This record gives sequence, C-alpha cells and structure tokens, in this order.
Amino acid sequence: MKLALKLVAVVVVALILGAGSALFVIRGFGLGGDIAVGPWVTSLTIGSTQADPYTRARVAVAGLLALNRDETIYFTAADDDDGEALRSGCTYKVTGSDLPARWWSVTLYGEDHYLVSNPKNLYSYGGDSVVREEDGSFVISVGPEEADRNWIPTGGQTGDTFSLTLRLYNPEPDAVRDPSAIALPRIAKETCQS
Amino acid sequence: MKTWPIWLAGTIALAAVFHILTVFGLPYGIMNRAMAGIASQAGGVNKPLYPERATAESRGIVRPSPDLLYTACVYDVSVQPVKLSSPVPDTYWSLSTFASNTDNFFVVNDREVKSNRIEIILAANEEAGSGQGIPVIVAPSSKGIVLFRSLVPSEDLREEIDAKRREANCEPL
Repeated sequence: MKLALKLVAVVVVALILGAGSALFVIRGFGLGGDIAVGPWVTSLTIGSTQADPYTRARVAVAGLLALNRDETIYFTAADDDDGEALRSGCTYKVTGSDLPARWWSVTLYGEDHYLVSNPKNLYSYGGDSVVREEDGSFVISVGPEEADRNWIPTGGQTGDTFSLTLRLYNPEPDAVRDPSAIALPRIAKETCQS
Repeated sequence: MKTWPIWLAGTIALAAVFHILTVFGLPYGIMNRAMAGIASQAGGVNKPLYPERATAESRGIVRPSPDLLYTACVYDVSVQPVKLSSPVPDTYWSLSTFASNTDNFFVVNDREVKSNRIEIILAANEEAGSGQGIPVIVAPSSKGIVLFRSLVPSEDLREEIDAKRREANCEPL
C-alpha cells in the first residue's frame, strides 16, 4: 500500500514537472526563434519540415498553419525597442519603410493569440492600406486612444499585454537568405495610461 | 540502505519522458482539434469551408490574418486521393497543405501557377493519384489541412475576391 502511494506520487510529480516544463518552454516565448532584429524575432524553420520539435510545438500553439519562410517570413514582437513588454494601456509608434516583400502587414494580437476586440474592427495595416509620410516611410500608431491615421487599437485594458506580427509574403531572395539583415520597423513607447 | 536517491532519479527520468511526450504530442493534439473544428463546420472531411473575414470573434485558428480570405478543408487520403481545385485571382493567393504534425509540406502561389486556375491531387502515394494528367502531391500523413489564402488589397475588391475563393474546392477523386 505504501509502495503504491509512493509510485502514484512519483507519477504525479513527474507529470507536473515534465508536462509543466514543456508547456512553460513552448507557451512562454510565443513563436520564439533564433533570429532577433531589435524586438522582432523569427525562426528560419517556422512551418518547415526541418523544424525542431520545440519550434513545431510553438508553431502549433502560437502560429498554426504558418507557411515556410520561402513563402512568408513571420516576425513577432512582444517587447518594444527598450525591451519592455508591449502593454495595452500604452501608446507606441511603429515606424519604418516598405519591407522587402511582395506584400507585408503588421497585425496586433492579444495574449491569447487572437485579434483584439475594438469598435472599428481595426487589426492591422499593410503595404496596401497604410498611409505613408511624404518620404515614403510609415508611422503606425498602436494604443488605446484613436489616432488620426494608421491606428491599431490595443483594447485599452491597462494590465494586458499584446504582441505584433509582421508578415512578409513572397519575401525577396536576400530577405529569405538572411532575415537578420532586414530593416524592420522600430517600436517606440510614447505614453502610458496611469 | 537509503532508497530516496532511487526515487528521485526515477521521478526525474519519468519527468523527462513526460516532457518529451508533451513536446512531440502537442502539435498533433492541436492539429487534431483544428481539423475537428474545420470538418464539423464544413460537414465532413474533403469538403471546403469558407469562413468570413477574421475578426476578434474568430476563435478557430490562432493568429488569423484579417487581410486575407481563407478557404480551408481537412484532407483525408486514407481511402482515396483528394482533388484540390481553385481559380487563381489577380492578387496574392496561395494553396498550402499541412501534415498532422503542423508541417507545411507544400505551397504554391499565384505567380508560380502561371494560369488562372489550378488543379492538384493530394494522395497517399504517387501511384494512387497518377493517371489523371494532374500534378500529384504525396501527403506525409493521411489527414491534414489544406488552406487557400487570398489577399484582399482593398475593400473595393473584397466582393470579387470573396466570390472567387468560394469556388475553391476539395473533393474525393
């Protein structure tokens, strides 16, 4: 009887430790990746048959049905340029220039990896929809307060965090060869609600 | 004799096994759930589903793109091959196939098709799908997901692109 209880305890503890540590590693880092450009992160093997088991598990949790990098490169940012978590109660300026791809977009997702509810159903801006500055660059305003243009609402729950996904569809060959050399948008925090 | 080192080592070894099982099993579990969701809405496997534009209410697949219109189906080539067909619109468009472990094992886009229509056979092996005069893609798993993506570059074009993507089809050969 005592031995049986010990065995049950071992299995329960091992299950909590084993499955718990796996879920922590998989869920804790979004899509993750081995390439970082500022706050943007990607992996060369997302969606690929060469993906390692951890990348495959992260894709399943945070990016199911992602395409391989020859077709689309996905960058994800959960932090701003200063390395601080993106918070729904703060306003950020995402600034950059057209990216080396046939089409690109920036989309905001909540902690649950789904689009964030807002009255205007605004979730993203892309190469076809963003309003550009005179020099061709763009500024996307991400925050709880409506901006004049290129606004992606965060939902405004001050304690919540969110992430941005940058998609590059049909990336140029140089971008596929070396995603770390792509000039990606900057994410600068402007203000935060108290 | 002290036995606690043995119990500790056994617990750690078993924890490592559970860790590996979770990492390897999670993709299959999540894909199975996604396939069940698509198949139930489409009315079964090898049948297309035409979801509306993704919004905050969309809870089927994580990180959907609101700029695309999707057509999805669950393929099952265990009994017979599956024929995939679609018109190819004048915008970014792709047909991609995903194995039961989430791997994207095939993708083709509008620029690569060089035609205004595509037909492809998905089969368990090369022989099963041959003889139709249509390219055959061998699926590494008997079940998986087919996803057609169509970019909507402006609202003016949404109706036209939506009509075309609803012509995309998955059907047993």
